[in-house]
Amino acid sequence: MNLEKRKRELAQEFSPLLEKTTKTSKIWIGFLIAVILVGVYAFFVQLFKGHIVTGMRDNVVWGIYIINFIFFVCLSYSGAFISGVLHFFKTPWKNSVSRIVEIITVLSLIIGPIFILLCIGRLDRLHYLFMYPRIQSPITWDIIAIMTDLIGCFIYLYLTFIPDFAILRDNSENASKWRQKVYKYLAIGYQDTPTQREKLHKITRTMSAMVIALAIVAYSVLAWIFSLTLQPGWNSSIFAPYFIIAGLYSGIGVIIIAMYLIRKYYNLEHYIRKVHFIGAGIVLLIISLLFGYFTFSEYFSRWFSHKISDANLLNTLFTRYFWMFIFANYIGVLVPLVILFFKKLRTIKSITFAAVIAVIGLWFNRYLIVVPTLETPYLPIQDTREEFIHYTATWIEWALSFAGVAAFILFFILIMKLVPVIPMSGIIDNEREQNKSKKTFKKIITE
Amino acid sequence: MKINILKYKLITSFIIALLFSFNGFAQEEDASNYRMRFKFKTVKQPDNSRLLEVSFIGQNKKDRKDKVPVFDAEIKFYNEANLLGTAKTSKEGIAQLTVPENHNYTTDEDEYINFIAKFEGSDGLDEEEDEIHVKNLYLELNLEEIDSVKTVLVKAFTIDSLGVEIPLEEADIVISVNGMISKMKLEEGTIEDGEFEFEFPTDIPGDANGDIIVYSIISDNDDFGNIIQQKSINWGTFKTASIEEGNKLWSEAAPIWMYIVLTILLVGVWANYVYTAVNLFNIKKEGKELELKKE
Repeated sequence: MNLEKRKRELAQEFSPLLEKTTKTSKIWIGFLIAVILVGVYAFFVQLFKGHIVTGMRDNVVWGIYIINFIFFVCLSYSGAFISGVLHFFKTPWKNSVSRIVEIITVLSLIIGPIFILLCIGRLDRLHYLFMYPRIQSPITWDIIAIMTDLIGCFIYLYLTFIPDFAILRDNSENASKWRQKVYKYLAIGYQDTPTQREKLHKITRTMSAMVIALAIVAYSVLAWIFSLTLQPGWNSSIFAPYFIIAGLYSGIGVIIIAMYLIRKYYNLEHYIRKVHFIGAGIVLLIISLLFGYFTFSEYFSRWFSHKISDANLLNTLFTRYFWMFIFANYIGVLVPLVILFFKKLRTIKSITFAAVIAVIGLWFNRYLIVVPTLETPYLPIQDTREEFIHYTATWIEWALSFAGVAAFILFFILIMKLVPVIPMSGIIDNEREQNKSKKTFKKIITE
Repeated sequence: MKINILKYKLITSFIIALLFSFNGFAQEEDASNYRMRFKFKTVKQPDNSRLLEVSFIGQNKKDRKDKVPVFDAEIKFYNEANLLGTAKTSKEGIAQLTVPENHNYTTDEDEYINFIAKFEGSDGLDEEEDEIHVKNLYLELNLEEIDSVKTVLVKAFTIDSLGVEIPLEEADIVISVNGMISKMKLEEGTIEDGEFEFEFPTDIPGDANGDIIVYSIISDNDDFGNIIQQKSINWGTFKTASIEEGNKLWSEAAPIWMYIVLTILLVGVWANYVYTAVNLFNIKKEGKELELKKE
């Protein structure tokens, strides 16, 4: 196999994805920018008028911002976890999904913490967190965990990009100059020599293990922000593993949705095949079983304890939040379970549908963890105004939430314009491995 | 439907009658099913007053666990024919009367005091009566440190008509201390020749001030009934549990283990980052060398 020739072929195959922008994608990008701009406007309204423009009040001090924060950060941790596992255990079909997972990991880790900043009433005092950190505070642990994880994920993502940057650097004669410069700079002189390849492989593997460990620690710290308080619905010893499972559930769901959209709109049916969907679907099935089990354990022990505060919380969940509760904890678990359990139902579309249901269900699950607990405090609510007793998100919060989602998608598209969504180096590595095994096979026969 | 109701009129009316028949529950209130327990006892209390107590409880003849206290029954207490007082039974079926220390009791020739408790009966309950004969016993409790040994000394005696103290020949005695819920037994022994001595243990905590209430008790004695004597003394070894709360909301520094764990974690992770960066520089260096060679 002529490596250089193959690299050139691949670079040519993927170059339209990187360089050409269709009219539809331009409109789509324009739409996303518009959504982000509305979000920016909403942010300035909130900044100048304060949190009064949101639905958050004295009792419900956390709203959909923190829900989005948990959702995105958990998405990132699960992405890191899955990506680390794929790399570390050299999963055979990893090449088609690994880059999607890595991009999801880094982007959600950038978008997620922005939402926590939106929860802060006095952003001008943000630097106090770094000036006067309290090591015994879970918030400090979370800041340290997120920052360390973000840097780790960036390094890891970059390591996986280097061989592709090198291929693009060597095969982008027709590309614009800035692109050539960027590729040259980011490829850091990688020539795919055996020593370079070995070094890169070694550090990528170490980082993949590190990223798994980091994700578990960071997940747990995030869960402890809630479970180390005494609030009903939060004070639970299984919250950390529950968060890990829930995060993986949403993570795999988003990966399946991303796989479906990328496959469809970038015509990558050759690379992202049904087998990948079925593989991801089976993982989603296992995680949905675990998630259902943890959810049941969590609510069952609360119901059985008969504590007044827990009883009040469950009463709220089964009255005011009845349908959301049913969707989050019944439909969100059972529908994916049924679809993925039966072999006949496992088609690309149905698996994607199951993933969409799982992701929406999980967002509602997060909502039910945060808001109803804050609406049923230990001390009676003194202010009888409706907005003090019950939380309802305002347009400002929704605008910023959608802006976050839009930014996530936009950055995803932009990264896909920089490097191919299917790692070219991975394809070459696979082919190299196949050739090697063929040669060994021939040798054995001739001997 | 109408015909059916008429047809089963008899059965229907019987069921309705059963449904509304409260008499079905009257069985419990029927005293004939219960055997009345009328128990009388006397306790000579630490201040030398005497408590007369009647327990008036009905016990189901078939189910012994089913006990119903007789409430608000008037009990009359006598010393011989002299009425000492009356008391009504409580919800627990207990009627109590305290006779002061200085009361002059009528005694027989052997110095026995005769107490009688009497319930004169009501519409549903028969008359009940019980009597006891006790001698007036004096119990002295002394708590002393003899050669640095904390010692409980009990003296028991009767006083004859001439005022002479006659030591008690023999009786069972229990030494207890006051606990949170009930009395805790420390020693069970026998008074001989009017005296009992007991070495007090050194590991009784007592209350927050180290105070202990010590009891000497003679119970259900045939000749003397129940006699209790008590005394409080600072013999306790109570120590305030000094649990140092290291980590408070307002603590400036976190517990040391937190720093250690965090440092190990961060050093481990960052060392790996540095290791990765060094390797990346090596890759870059090799790339540059290759480029130079090509040129």
